[in-house]
Order: sequence, then C-alpha cells, then structure tokens
Amino acid sequence: MRRISKFGWLGGLLLLLLGGVARAQLLFPPPEFESGYRMPVTTTPPGRALWLQYLDVGVLAACLAVAVWLIYRPRSRRGIFWLSLFSLAYFGFYRKGCICPIGSPQNIAYGLLHPSYSVPVTVVAFFALPLIVALFFGRAFCAGVCPQGALQDFFLIKPIKVPAFLEHGLGLIPYLFLGAGIAYAATGTGFVICRYDPFVPIFRLSGSFFLLAAGVSFLLIGMFVGRPYCRFLCPYGALLKLGSLVSRWRVRVTPETCTQCRLCEHSCPFGALREPAPPGAPAPIPGERRTLGWLLVLLPVLIIAGALAGRALSPVAARLHPTVALAELYARQQQHPVVYGVMTPEALALARMAEQPGTVLEAAADLRGRFRLATAIFGAWFGLVVGIKLILLSLRVSRTDFEPDPGACFACARCFSSCPSERVRRGLPVVTVQPPVPAAASALAK
Amino acid sequence: MSEPTVQPVAPGPPAPPATPPTPPTPVRPPDPQRALRAIAWIAGTFSAIVVVTMLYFHFTAAANDPWKSPQLLALRARLAVEPKNEAVKEQIRQLDFQFRHQFRQRLARDRFGAWLLAGGAALAALVARKAAESTRTVPLPQSERERLGLPKERPTRARWTVAAVGGVAALVLVATALLLRTSLPADAAGWRRLAGQVDAAPVAALPGLAEVQANSPRFRGWDGGGWTTGTNYALVWDRKSGQGIAWQSAIPAPGHNSPVIWGDHLFISGGTTAQREVLCYSVKDGRLLWRRTVEKVAGSAAKLPEVPEGTGFAACTTATDGRHVYAIFANGDLAALNFDGTVAWAKSVGVMKNSFGHASSLAIWQGTVIVQLDQGESGSSDSKLLAFDGANGRPVWQQTRTVPVSWATPIVVEAAGKTQIITLSQPWIIAYAFNDGHELWRAEALESEIVPSPIFAGGLVLAISPTSKLVAWRPDGAGDVTKSHLAWTAEDSNAPDVSSPVGNGEFAFTVSSGGMVSCVELKSGTRLWQHDLELSVQASPAIVGDRLFVLGEAGAAVVLSAGREFRELARSQLADKFLASPAFAQGRVFLRGETNLYCLGPTGKDQ
Ligand code: SF4
Repeated sequence: MRRISKFGWLGGLLLLLLGGVARAQLLFPPPEFESGYRMPVTTTPPGRALWLQYLDVGVLAACLAVAVWLIYRPRSRRGIFWLSLFSLAYFGFYRKGCICPIGSPQNIAYGLLHPSYSVPVTVVAFFALPLIVALFFGRAFCAGVCPQGALQDFFLIKPIKVPAFLEHGLGLIPYLFLGAGIAYAATGTGFVICRYDPFVPIFRLSGSFFLLAAGVSFLLIGMFVGRPYCRFLCPYGALLKLGSLVSRWRVRVTPETCTQCRLCEHSCPFGALREPAPPGAPAPIPGERRTLGWLLVLLPVLIIAGALAGRALSPVAARLHPTVALAELYARQQQHPVVYGVMTPEALALARMAEQPGTVLEAAADLRGRFRLATAIFGAWFGLVVGIKLILLSLRVSRTDFEPDPGACFACARCFSSCPSERVRRGLPVVTVQPPVPAAASALAK
Repeated sequence: MSEPTVQPVAPGPPAPPATPPTPPTPVRPPDPQRALRAIAWIAGTFSAIVVVTMLYFHFTAAANDPWKSPQLLALRARLAVEPKNEAVKEQIRQLDFQFRHQFRQRLARDRFGAWLLAGGAALAALVARKAAESTRTVPLPQSERERLGLPKERPTRARWTVAAVGGVAALVLVATALLLRTSLPADAAGWRRLAGQVDAAPVAALPGLAEVQANSPRFRGWDGGGWTTGTNYALVWDRKSGQGIAWQSAIPAPGHNSPVIWGDHLFISGGTTAQREVLCYSVKDGRLLWRRTVEKVAGSAAKLPEVPEGTGFAACTTATDGRHVYAIFANGDLAALNFDGTVAWAKSVGVMKNSFGHASSLAIWQGTVIVQLDQGESGSSDSKLLAFDGANGRPVWQQTRTVPVSWATPIVVEAAGKTQIITLSQPWIIAYAFNDGHELWRAEALESEIVPSPIFAGGLVLAISPTSKLVAWRPDGAGDVTKSHLAWTAEDSNAPDVSSPVGNGEFAFTVSSGGMVSCVELKSGTRLWQHDLELSVQASPAIVGDRLFVLGEAGAAVVLSAGREFRELARSQLADKFLASPAFAQGRVFLRGETNLYCLGPTGKDQ
C-alpha cells in the first residue's frame, strides 16, 4: 500500500504538470499583411491512399487471427503481450488511434440514418471484424489488438481487486456512453465517442488539456486498477461484451478438467474469474424470487420513465449540435446582445448566421424534433440496461468450474499459468502451497 | 509480460543449526529487485524532470506573449502616429519574424520533450512491472472471506449499486436539463418570431423618399447634411413680441440631442443617472404628447457608466423611419418606440469605453438603424458599426472597426452606384456597404479626435480634421484611396472641433467654436472667405435655400448669405442656451434649448 501511495503521488504530480503543459499551449496568429497580399486558402490534406486503408484492415484481420491462435493454441501470455505492443505501435502511435473500432458504431448509425453518407468499407470492416471474432472466440480484440487496451495493460503494475458490487455498478457506464454516442451520431451532431477518446491525444502526443488529463488519469489509475477505460467506459467494449456472452468458444483457465484447486482464483487483474456455484445449490429463497418478480415488473416502468426523461433532456442535449448551438447563440444575441471581439468564433458564427438566419433556424427547429426522438430512445435504452442488469443479478448461475465470465474476460491469458494442469502441459514447475498465514485481512471483516 | 516466475516451495526438514567458528563477513548478494526498483525510480524521476522542463518552457513562453511584447507595442504605437515610417514597419516585420522563429523552435522542443517523456514513462512502467512481478506472491487457494468465516456476498449489494449508479446518472442528466436553460423557443410561433416572421402586429410599409425628405428623420435633416431646399422658412423672429415664434415648450429632461420630426410628431430624448427617456411633442402646438422611460432593457449593464455632465446620457439624436422612433443612450441602451409611446423593442449594445460619453447619433436608412460605436484605443477591436432591422431589432450585420473612440455620426449616401455608409474616426474616413456592412473604401485623412460628422456635398465626401483642415474625397474608389481619390484639402487652423460642415452643391461652410465662418468652393477646395461672427458656437450650421443659418450658444441666430461673398442678412435672439443643432421641416425651424423647445415659423396669427 505504501508503494501504491508513492506511485500515486508521483503519478499525481506528473498529471498536474502534464495538465499545465497542455494548458500552456499557445496559438500563433497569422501575420498582419498589408493590403495586396491574399492569404492562401486553407486546403484539406488528401485522405489516406486506398491501398493503405486496405492494409489497415489486413493488419487488423491478421492481428485478430494471431490473437485467437495465441489464446486458444499455445495459450501464450507472452505472445499476447508482444502482439499488443505491436498493435499499440501500429494502431496507436502510427495510425494515431484513428482508424479504430471504438468509434465505428457511430459511423454505422450515422450511415444508416443518412443515406447521403456511405460508410467506408474499411470502417465497416473495423466495426464488424472484432465483433464477429467475439461471437466465435470472445474478446480477442481486447486481448491483443486494441491500442487503448494495450496502453493501459502496459501500465498495469500492481493490480488491486475492485469489489464485485462496484464492478457491476460501474459496468453500466459503457452502455450509457454507447447509447449517447449513437444518439449523437444518428442526429448528425458528431462522433462524441471519438471526440472524447482520452488516449488519442497520447498517441498524437498533443491535444486538449481536458483529454490529456483524462488520458493520463486513466493510465495512473490503470497502474492499480486493470484497464479502467475498457471496463468502465469503453462503448465498443460493451458491444464486444454482449457478443462474447454468446460466443461459440470460450476462454478457459484450464486446458483440461478443472480440479477446483482454486489456484487461479486471484490471478485475474480484471475481476473476470467466476467461482463455481456450490454443488447442489439450493433454489432461490422466496425473498429472491419476489425480488426477481418485482424487477420484471419494474423493467417496462424503467423503460418508459427513461424515455420520458430522455425526451425532457432533448433541448439541452441538442445544444451539442453545431446548428442548434448557432441558433441558440443567435437567440441569446436577440435577447441579450453582446459585442464579440473581432474574428472570435462567436462573431464569425453570428456573421455566418446573419446571411441566412431563416435557414439556420429552420434546420435547428427540425433538429430539435429529431433530438426529441433520439433522446427518448436513449432514455429507454438507459432504463432497459439498468433493468436487465438488475434482473441478471437476480438470476441463479449454474457453473461447475472456475471459469472466466465470457463477457468480462479480455482473454489476456494471464490466468492460464496459474492452473497446475496448464503448467504440467507446458512443462513448468508446479506450485506448492505454503501454509496459510494467520488472517491479516481485518479490513474485510469490518 | 512473461509468465509469472513462481518459486516452488519444498517443505523439508529444517537444517541443523550450524555454529561457525568465526562470525562470517556479511556479503550482500546482488538483489535484482532493488536494482529494478531503482531503475523504475530513476526513469520516473527522469520523466518528471522532462515534464518540469517542458512546463517551464511553456510557462515562460505563455508569460512572454509576443503580442504583449513592450517592444512590439511601442513600435506599433509609433506606427500609429507615423503611419508612413518605413523604418518602423521594417522593425515590426523583423520582430514578427523573430517571434515566429522562436515559436517554431518551441514547437520542435515540445515534440522532442514529448518523445523523451513517452520513453521515460514507458521504461518506468516496464521496469516497475518487472519488479512487481518478481515480488508477486502466490495466492492461497481460499478466499479471504472464507478464511475469515464471512458469509458469501449476496447480489443485493450489487443490485443496489447498479440502482445507485443508474440513479446518479439520471439525476445528473435531469439536473443538467434543469440548469442549462435554452434560449430557443418551445413552440412553432416562437420559432417564427425568432426568424423575424412576425405574425403579430404587422409593421407598416416604409415611407417613400419624398416623405423622408419632407421630414427631419435624423440628426441634421433627412441625409445628415444639414441642408434644406425650402424657401418658405422665416429665419427671423422677435423675442419680445413673440413674432415668428410659433410655440415654445418646456423640456423636462436634460439632453443635447437635436429634435427629430415626422408628421405631427417631434421627438427628443433626455437622460440622467436616474432615468433615460424619449419625449414626443406635437409639431402643431408644442404639446408634450408622451414621455416614455427606457428601462429594464435586456442585457443592460447594472452599473451606469461615468459620463461627464457636458455630454450627459442623451447626447445622441434619435432617428425615425415613420414607423418607430429609435433612441440610444450613453449606457448602451437602444430602444425602438411606436408613435404612441409604447416600446416596440429594446436591447443593449453594451457599455462603451468612452470616458467623454457616447455621442454619435443614430443613422436611419430604409428601415435599418445604423449604430456607430467607436470606443477604446486605436488598433483594438472594440469599435463597431452595427445595423439593426428597425422592424424587430434583429441584427442585420455588424462590422468591427479598429479605430479609437469618436463622436461623429455616420451618414448614408447614394454614390458611385452604391449605398454607402460614411464614418469618421481618427485617422480614417471609412465607407461601408449599406446592405452587408463590408468595407468599400478608406482614406487616411484625420489627425485628431473626431467630433464633427461627415457630409456629402457636390459629389464629394467632406470631413473636418479639427483645427487643421477640411478635406474632400471622391467616393468611387475601393480599398485604400488615401492617395488616389483625394479631391482637395483646405487647410484651416479654424476648422471646427465640434460642429459639422454644411454644403449646397457649390459651396461648403464651416463654423468654428469661436464663431469663425469659412466658405470653401466645393469644386476646387479654394477658400473664398472667412468671417468672425464673434459668437460661441456648438450647434452645426444649416443651409436653408440660399441662406446659411448659424445658431450661437447664447441664443443669437445669425442668417448669412450662402454664397461666394460674405453677407449677413439678419440676427435674432432667444433667451436660452443652445448646443443642439437646428431641425427644419414643414416650413418651420425647431430648436432645442437647455430649458425649452422652440418652433420658429408662422404663428397662428400670421397664418
Ligand atoms: S484471460 Fe484470465 S486473466 Fe485474462 S481477463 Fe480473462 S479471466 Fe482474466
């Protein structure tokens, strides 16, 4: 614990300093040319060559294949580690965190609702491939292909266990983020999942203060809490989790039969290992049954309440859309005029608005209507996620072995070597157990 | 990374105690863990040093903002005074280049630092992992809970946590919805109103030019030039007998603005720290029809600006388009009132950085209200030219002016096939397009703080550089026309510092504060005559037909011939103090004194 606090102190200092660095960034205005000189028009750099885009897809597919092979054949943690380092270098620092599957659900949602936008084939591939792999083999993408996951995994030094109840509670957040990301993409507001990715500024070695600070915070927390972003925020992880729940093949700690020696019990830094249900587990007590009944009744209530609350949220949610934000600025200017400085974003926006106020206002009114629907659906999704989670927590589990939860397991292969059968298989020395030390975990007793 | 190296523990019989003959010399075996920890700390400390260094460079760079460099500011200030000094321009260019070079160097340094930092952090993490792995102990095959004999964790706690997280998220979202109020309307009618599609109270059609010219809708007549073609104006009166004074009416609110006339309505404004108001009189008999306080204006600053008494809160003349009367006050409140005294709309344009108080009057053209807000220092972007739709107060456009504070009133002229707004502020005459506010041309002409307003006479834009000269520019240029479109300059140390010029197509006249009247030929800029009236004059002169009307501060009104030679035709007197310029409409002269409003013209008996 002392070491943790030391690391934490140093890390906190680094975070503070980094934040300061980011905040101190300056912009340099263009020169004040005298009359006669025309500033060159800003041009957009050409997009990435098509063959390079296909190369990205090829690398993704190859990495996924290698990850699956490493998890299921040699069952090698070392292999997964090196693969994740390669992915970190390629998809992270070389491709600067873009393209990546995490934001791709937004492209798909936007493309489905806006026929004028055709989703690039590469984006479809990045969205679908990890998901398809998850449907068959679990979260192989998270194991060794995701640069965000690799970066956090790299900084994981001294994992501590997050209490199960907290893990369940915080596990809701990725679904909410996913819902919000899709709602904003569907309304054409923007891709908020990409915009607020905390690791992209690290891959690019520059970015806003807020995001840099968030990224560094995740890494610092990640020194002690395994993959905090993946577990408690990543929206694509939420999709992969759903896919892995029904996967055809699953990661197993032991290559053969589980002898229930329990040596693997504490080997997962992500709290994904589940212990078997006690043999002949009794039927749920009547109180539990009643709770389940109430929760089933509560589910539609939560969905409807969520939809209504979401609808009420729509005027505020819509303000993230640039057109609505412009209309909002315009309306405020009508009520409380403010004289903005020259070339400030507000002054430029108002000048733009002044050209066609009617058109902008019409578009804003239309968008507000769309937001009413989108936020209502988001609210219903919110209610559904909470309701389902509560119901799942009230169901009986039938598990005979120590095995990873297929949804929560990142397939990182860390737990394999703690299994004596696996060690025998690999010809490694088998653990002999020391006698238990008298209890020192008084904290748990409290 | 690597498979955990778990040391097998082989429990065997304990070794018999050995009794060495001599105490052994303690030789410490190499401890790889210590070495790893040390490397981790060194790498971590190195990263921290890199960050601190980067931070230092960033903060020093932020503190040394090149745009606030005293050297650059001094050079810019010098350039403002000596705009043609090439050496100063060159120095600024060199300084600018130096700053940019330093900026690029800093970017490169930041990038290098970022890579160093990434390397240091990666090494620290890698070694720390290794150190942590080597000290990892094998967990016991029993949960601590079981070892302590605690019951198994039940799902109740997890359910409550899920409910709590869901509840907190919902609360945050609802609180956001309640706290962040939207300014956008909730219903379709509101959207229509916001878009300017006013479905209530349709606004009357705009009046034609003839009707505008028959009235006096703004400061110094319909075009701001201070002239009227009417010949039926009696410019003499007798204070004692009252002959020639149609009526006079008390003014209950102080202000230096001039009367504005439309039909039977005469408008003035008044203002104190207590209240700002618009007053409406009957043109026929001088009855005060109504007075309306302009108050509770949205966005208006709670604290009134400090305004010298000499300027007051109502120095700006109102304007009308026959549908509304528009008024602006020194605290930035701008209001449109219906002719029955109700407020049509009101807004604040903000408190101005003007230590002498705002005094530029409103201009009006085809239902658009033009507001010149010159304030602050030269080079700043505080000054603005704003255009509002008179019907609903919607901003039509706004233009930033990098000019210092001024008190001149803009004029709108039709010239060179364009509707141009002419503005003055040291050192520029700047013309803007009426329809969208873009700058048409500018000329560097004026040398000191500007109070006199421009006029358009004989196809030329005339402006006064106080106590220095009267200048004339052709308004058909584009861009900087300082050299290309100067028509003439009439040097004149008596050029007025307050009152504006007046012209009749052939001659231009100016009257200095000391009463020196000058006549200049418009075609050539040649001064034809100059005459001292020995009056203190603040009001701008006016041309009525072929006569020049000069109103002295102490109430003396002098009528001169508006011609090639000086000729005084008449003098009359009123017992009041006059700072506001006269207005002419419907064959009558309207004067605003300090205490009374006067209508000069045929009395009931005369008619
Ligand atoms: S593979 Fe094992 S250690 Fe890794 S996440 Fe899954 S259960 Fe945890």
